[in-house]
Amino acid sequence: MDPTRILRTTSFRLGALYASVFGGSVIVLVAIINWIANDAMNQQLRAGIGTELAALLYRDREGGAANVAGAIEERLQARNRPTALFYLLTDPAGRKITGNLDAQARAEGWLELHQTFPAAAGTAHEPGALETRTIVARAARLTGGGTLFVGEDRGKVDEVRAAILEASAWAISAAILLAAIGGVLVSLGFLRRVDAINRTSRAIIDGRLTQRIPTRGTGDELDQLGRNLNEMLDRIQALMESVRQVSSDIAHDLRTPLSRLRQRLEAARLRATSVADYEATVEHAIADADAILNTFTALLRIAQIESGTRRAAFAPVDLSEVFRSLVETYAAVAEDRSQSLTSAIEPAVGTRGDRELLTQMIANLIENAIRHAPAGARIRVELRRGDEAAVAMIADSGPGIPPDQRGRVFERFYRLERSRTSPGSGLGLALVAAVAEIHGIKIALEDNQPGLRVVLAIPLIAGTAGAEQRPRGAPPALANYGDERGAR
Amino acid sequence: MKILLIEDDRETAEFVINGLREHGHVVDHAPNGRDGLFLAAGEAYDVMIVDRMLPGLDGLGIVKTIRGAAVKTPVLFLTAMSGIDERVAGLEAGADDYLVKPFAFSELLARLGALARRPTMTAVETVLTVGDLELDLLKRSVTRAGQRIDLQPQEFKLLEYLMRHAGRVVTRTMLLEHVWGFHFDPQTTVVETHISRLRSKIDRGFDVELLHTVRKSGYSLHGSD
Repeated sequence: MDPTRILRTTSFRLGALYASVFGGSVIVLVAIINWIANDAMNQQLRAGIGTELAALLYRDREGGAANVAGAIEERLQARNRPTALFYLLTDPAGRKITGNLDAQARAEGWLELHQTFPAAAGTAHEPGALETRTIVARAARLTGGGTLFVGEDRGKVDEVRAAILEASAWAISAAILLAAIGGVLVSLGFLRRVDAINRTSRAIIDGRLTQRIPTRGTGDELDQLGRNLNEMLDRIQALMESVRQVSSDIAHDLRTPLSRLRQRLEAARLRATSVADYEATVEHAIADADAILNTFTALLRIAQIESGTRRAAFAPVDLSEVFRSLVETYAAVAEDRSQSLTSAIEPAVGTRGDRELLTQMIANLIENAIRHAPAGARIRVELRRGDEAAVAMIADSGPGIPPDQRGRVFERFYRLERSRTSPGSGLGLALVAAVAEIHGIKIALEDNQPGLRVVLAIPLIAGTAGAEQRPRGAPPALANYGDERGAR
Repeated sequence: MKILLIEDDRETAEFVINGLREHGHVVDHAPNGRDGLFLAAGEAYDVMIVDRMLPGLDGLGIVKTIRGAAVKTPVLFLTAMSGIDERVAGLEAGADDYLVKPFAFSELLARLGALARRPTMTAVETVLTVGDLELDLLKRSVTRAGQRIDLQPQEFKLLEYLMRHAGRVVTRTMLLEHVWGFHFDPQTTVVETHISRLRSKIDRGFDVELLHTVRKSGYSLHGSD
């Protein structure tokens, strides 16, 4: 795996963001601790100075400046002093009387002094070297007019502070490092699985269509993604199969009429001897070409219906009206073929859809019954409002469809063995299936004993489902159909 | 008739122009949208034939533009075979009829004839008459020589359409579209069956035949004149 790729992954970026937020909070935390510790140490330092100053001022009140000077010298000479305090006593003119601090300008209250001392033994400095120390001191006026300074080296406080800062720096670095490592690890684990998906996709793009994304069965998001992609791939593969099937069917089905057309024209060139012969040939050739064009038109129409663009123009359709009108149209046609077409159509059954396509779908089914049933056959058309859907039935007493072939008759160009020789494109039921699909209509092919019974379950338009389901007082369903009929 | 053809395909244009000239029509041809629009806006035509797909300005644009400029000339829209949705778009843009390519010339001729007649139809007629045949749109009754004829609703619709186009040829497709609302080619003899029934009702027993079959084209309703 390309290591720089990790830097571009979402999970690494999230890890880095996490690390920086985490690091930032550690820094803030350490700063607060540092500030509080510093404050506490300063307080302590000042408290020590204040106590000593108070003690010496007591001496001043007892015996004046000389008494204070004595006390200071006593303290300075004592060995193993617990705290390294600094003193300075000046007379009213500011001259130093005693103490281990250099003379200072007159002052009062807290102040910070910088003074150079010989380096303490045991430090890293060479003997005789000097070091500057910062002393926090407090000055107070004596009763005799002199000034007393008491101070303490702040170096210790600074040392502790430096130690805290150093520890903090280590802690922050460790925290950021750990967060970053965590981020990279999480990222690597994630990437490995994404890589598996990518590899599979690549393989499919390269033409190995049967490849599928491995899933772990844990049901996490990546597993779900893998499963969904696999299902999508299955569907695409099935569609591609059917496209392949359709193209070879088209090629096969158009080859036959085109060969016939060609033969006819060639025969005319070889044998036609009169204008009448040529005219007859041209007549037939045009009919052949029209049949081929009709097949194309039907294919394109099915494709267009399947694309679903017509859904945008769906509107309420009065199915009863469509059925009534088609029954009137086809009853006459059936009668001409010595068949009977009877019907039972419940009024005001409505759906939502494309009137033109629904008309064609039902017309196709009725025509199928008429064309495939022999003279004397009975054809029955019914429409009624069911509990959940409008139920339509188109039944005939013709030869029917064998049960094992019922599933296939909706495929493009599929034709039963016995109808191969009769006219027809083999696309009528494919169109029915396409129209049904976009309208959510369920089609069942049943045995009419004898014959075929096509049962359609057509979604009812909202508000026209079984009258008993209509809330009391609601306006009668299908009120709008009155307008539609009137406008027509 | 003076006809404007806006069509970029040379072969289709030639096929249409030659056919129309043979039938005695005057045809102007524009091979692209811009020229077509220029002619459509500037000249007076009886009818225009506009192709959907054109270089420059397309058919829809032309129809919209001239309708916007209040040009009332009837327009026949030509669409490609795949364009079942284009028919709706064409009619919405202001076209009066449409024809899917490829088409039979007789179909084109019949539709042009039907379109060109339109302007005279603006007056509201309630009684249509052909010879001694009368159709009353308000009473929804039909009589021939004063004799009442009973028709089924679809037969009435069929006769009404034929009478509105009396003296012209109407094709099978025109009848399917306007009488039955079928925008597809039925696999059974829907038109033939109903025409034959109508014929037996309005012509049987009368000396003069009104409903004629025009070979290879369609049907025509006209008197003896």
